[in-house]
Amino acid sequence: MTDKPSDVAHEIVNELAACDVKLVASLPDNWLMGLISAIDADQRFVHVRVNREESAIGLCSGAYMGALGSAALMGASGFMTVVYAITKINYTYEIPLFLILTLRGAVGDHHKHHVSNGLYLRSVLEGINMPYQVLDSSRDIPSISRCYRHTRIYGRPMAVLLTRDLLLGESR
Amino acid sequence: MNYIDCFRALARRRTDEIVVTSAGNSSQAWWAVTRDSEASFYLDASMSLSTMFASGLALAQPQLKIWAFMGDGAFCMNPGMLMVEREMNLPNLTHFLVSNRAYGGTSNAVLPNFADNDYAAMARAMGLSRVFEFRSIDAIDRGFSQLSGANAPGHTFVVLEVEPFSAQEQKLEQPPFDGPELKFRFGRLVERRANCSVFGYRL
Repeated sequence: MTDKPSDVAHEIVNELAACDVKLVASLPDNWLMGLISAIDADQRFVHVRVNREESAIGLCSGAYMGALGSAALMGASGFMTVVYAITKINYTYEIPLFLILTLRGAVGDHHKHHVSNGLYLRSVLEGINMPYQVLDSSRDIPSISRCYRHTRIYGRPMAVLLTRDLLLGESR
Repeated sequence: MNYIDCFRALARRRTDEIVVTSAGNSSQAWWAVTRDSEASFYLDASMSLSTMFASGLALAQPQLKIWAFMGDGAFCMNPGMLMVEREMNLPNLTHFLVSNRAYGGTSNAVLPNFADNDYAAMARAMGLSRVFEFRSIDAIDRGFSQLSGANAPGHTFVVLEVEPFSAQEQKLEQPPFDGPELKFRFGRLVERRANCSVFGYRL
């Protein structure tokens, strides 16, 4: 496997398709632009650009009730705005949801304004008892299918957190 | 127009539509007039997300006709949803905006700019063309057939101008379901109607 960003994006896309994801709802994060472009160009998916992250939660939850596989793709900052929607919709009704997030604020993120995500993203996930798995290299990409299937067993949300090293290559 | 009378009028015109209600009074009102425990998903816990939820369902099962209710309190929290709905433009989705000019679910608390909000104009400004407004039961009786052609081209947006719940109406029962029971009752109905598998196994 290679860590070239475009290859990584296509490996993630293929992994999503393999677990029968048909709908991807996204909001941008600079680290995700290659992945979003790859999804947008891939006829296997309906890609919906949503206005805010909570809308992705609603959309994917409704898709589940219609037997359509889905994934919500967003940055860490966006995720921090959706705790209400997830705890209310996905926990109250026990509706599975698969989230793909960026692990902002971790080692390799050059942006100081993401320090808060480094400090609190995982704490928030743990605080609402949401399982997550960090994907740090292309070797980890097959975990996407396993985590997606886990949401269907668990009947609640789970997230994979994509690192900068995975999405953009190793930084200094 | 009285809120409950309005919902009675809609319920009389319902054929096989699947319904998603919102946080606040629409769940109480729909439960009061229909007692529907299968073909309605009472998304009580969802400030502003009922129509996004309904959009996911409508996208997933294009042969089903979906009605989604949302109060104007919820709408004001997330009006950008209409941009997403417009872009998806699902012909089997009807978004009913129940405008009582108040946060009905929280004792009719005051809504920002309530006197001037023009929801139909906002929808048109976002490019929606199938936009309707009803301010009386008579208007519903006269005009409902225009929008009942769900699966006509494009997504449908309907503003229902109603009076806020009275103190007595605020005491109407909330749909009593535990979340997972509602999920399974509704999901099993979707499976039967659409011949699909929501939960990974059919009964």
